Amino acid sequence: MSRSTPPIVGWLVVLAITIALGLFTGNERLLTLAIQTYTLAALATSWNILGGFAGQVSLGHAAFFGLGALLTRELWLGGRPLPLAILIALVVTAATAAVVGVPMLRFRGIYFSVGTLALGVAVFITAGNLRPGISSLPAEALRAYEFQGRYYTALGVVAVTVAISAWLRRSKTGLGMMAVREDEEAASATGVNSFAHKMAAFVISATLAALAGAVFGYFSVSYYPQFPFSVTWTFDAITVVFVGGVGTIIGPLVGAVFYVVGRDLLSSTFPEVQVIVFGVLFILVVLLLPGGFVEGGHRVFAALSRRGTAQPTGSRAEGERETMEGKESV
Amino acid sequence: MNRKRIWVLLAVIALLVAACGSSDDSGGTTTTAGTETTAMTETTAATTTSSGGAETTAAAMEAPASILLGAVVPQTGPFAGGGAQVMRGYQYAVDAINAAGGVYVAEYDKSLPLELILRDDESDPNKTTSIMEDLAGQGITVYLGGFASPLHAAGTAVAEKNQIPYLGVATALQALHEQGYQYYFSPFPKSPDIAKSVFEMLNTLLPEGGRPTKVGIFQEATDWGEELGALWEEEAAKQGYEIVLHETYAPGSEDFTDIILKAQAAGVEALLSLPTPPDGFNIYKQMGELGWKPPFNLVVRAADVPTWNDLGDVGDGVVLSAGWHPDLGYPGIDALNQRHIAEEGRPADPVVGGAYSLVQIVADSIERAGTLDHQAVRDAIAATDLDTVAGHITFRADGTSPIDNPLMQRQGDKVVLIWPQVAGAGEFIYPAN
Repeated sequence: MSRSTPPIVGWLVVLAITIALGLFTGNERLLTLAIQTYTLAALATSWNILGGFAGQVSLGHAAFFGLGALLTRELWLGGRPLPLAILIALVVTAATAAVVGVPMLRFRGIYFSVGTLALGVAVFITAGNLRPGISSLPAEALRAYEFQGRYYTALGVVAVTVAISAWLRRSKTGLGMMAVREDEEAASATGVNSFAHKMAAFVISATLAALAGAVFGYFSVSYYPQFPFSVTWTFDAITVVFVGGVGTIIGPLVGAVFYVVGRDLLSSTFPEVQVIVFGVLFILVVLLLPGGFVEGGHRVFAALSRRGTAQPTGSRAEGERETMEGKESV
Repeated sequence: MNRKRIWVLLAVIALLVAACGSSDDSGGTTTTAGTETTAMTETTAATTTSSGGAETTAAAMEAPASILLGAVVPQTGPFAGGGAQVMRGYQYAVDAINAAGGVYVAEYDKSLPLELILRDDESDPNKTTSIMEDLAGQGITVYLGGFASPLHAAGTAVAEKNQIPYLGVATALQALHEQGYQYYFSPFPKSPDIAKSVFEMLNTLLPEGGRPTKVGIFQEATDWGEELGALWEEEAAKQGYEIVLHETYAPGSEDFTDIILKAQAAGVEALLSLPTPPDGFNIYKQMGELGWKPPFNLVVRAADVPTWNDLGDVGDGVVLSAGWHPDLGYPGIDALNQRHIAEEGRPADPVVGGAYSLVQIVADSIERAGTLDHQAVRDAIAATDLDTVAGHITFRADGTSPIDNPLMQRQGDKVVLIWPQVAGAGEFIYPAN
């Protein structure tokens, strides 16, 4: 059995469970939690391509999430079929990212972060000025609201996002992004076009963020259009990536499950102090597991392997090795 | 700064932001039901009919320990001042109804106490929706809304989706009633009422030639702002007033100097605005600093909160439109007002009465419906014909209610009813500056 077989089996099992969840449960609360988890997982995965693979720490990611939500929602509520609305939203977002990326990617390091933060805040304020009113589904649509279609849309989006992320990580383009992340000058010296790779990461990341936004726009009953442009979404995504594991494929998924489910459990058990408890939990995770849950899992797996008979210590899942912090801790 | 430090710094920032502003947090919860505070169920299976003494089959139906009212009210954030009044109104009404024996529900053949589940949405409409989804899973019979149109606008859609009746005051957004919603009821003056009543009041109480004819509007850039701003323009033209200034600002702005100076330069005599409490305080504070205040000031929403008095002279004489006043003389106001005076040291605040009336409407509707079924309760609410502390309430097909729009004026530390000129109304002081 090849080393990649267990992960594939694992992915299939997870996929089967998530598909079955939509088929066999009518529990709206559970489906809502699942859709929220998938949306955040897709958003975090998209940020991970730019921040984790290419090492460009964007703080304005919500601008693209919000753009995807806004365009999809307005086109869909305007009478376009949902797939067409999403497609248009993705094309417009990709074009916008390509235009915005030219000046933004001239900045490096902290300047890039501050520049994208400024962009995000500017777009947030503009969205509020242009669309001050609430966006609610029409009354008929509200009374006929159904979860299953939305659940599978969200599941499909997170599957596509993860598949693209996994493919990218193994592709030549992805390797170029990681080379740029590790040392931009050295990568350029070896023939890697660093600007082109950063631009590719920026555009792909923004487009996938818009895809996650499309799910938000389709799922939400009622919200102010400015909301998905809020910087909160960017930091939620970053938190999820950190907790799960920066630069990994499954890190954002694990982080999103922990984040959404943990927050929900705490809000029902410790409603008054849930924010503090959740904050402390996060700090503990970051302090004790610098590479996130994925790194923690590797450590446990490695320890168990050492106790076992023949397993070498390097039995961590292939493809989860090259995390930025994880590399240092190996 | 090396890369590792950047990551650590970023992690700390991310955690702080995530902890402070997570997109789906639920606020604190309070449940109060007089004597009962849990949602346990009990059975009435052992009861017998009075006529024959035989055990009834209907009595075997499990009755809940209480009737759950899910109230999502801003307890923190910019609308907390208004939310406090709303909560007080709900709580007073629940206590009064429970003290009188609760609400008789025919399907259980017994009276049940009301239980108020209070949740804080932190004045954030996005949290309003997620908390309302939570409440739907807790078996509530109705939703009770919070304070201010943005929160109601978000919440009513969730109520419609869940097909659970929603009642709200302190919201004047007429557009919400034009969505075709069937579960939203609001016995509260709407934008057309507010737009009309202010000019009617001025024309009635002030002699021709002594009225403020040059009108200025400070409109926030929200859906309600757009709605009321347009209606003020329309109504002013109809009733012989001239709009000399109409300025729009983003909610949460901190510097209003520019629009204040423009209003002063335009010779505004009547300033109409609908700010959030923090924005309203900033506007009037800065007007005080600039030494300008027009003779007539209508401040919808911001001036409803008791802390408005902290502004001193510049806030004095301001007219507010909060939908209710304890001097309106409706049945039940005295008891409500006495409790408010005993606990707060002042007559009931303007939003308290409207909130109180919602619980009266719910109790009456459940009794008439004889069940806690959402559709039956909704139909009973729609057929309401009831005297409450906010007057006689019926509902139109769109969920609005044909009620008066009382106007009040802050006069020193008192809020005086000035319109309509009913028996308990006081004198309108003009000019305010």
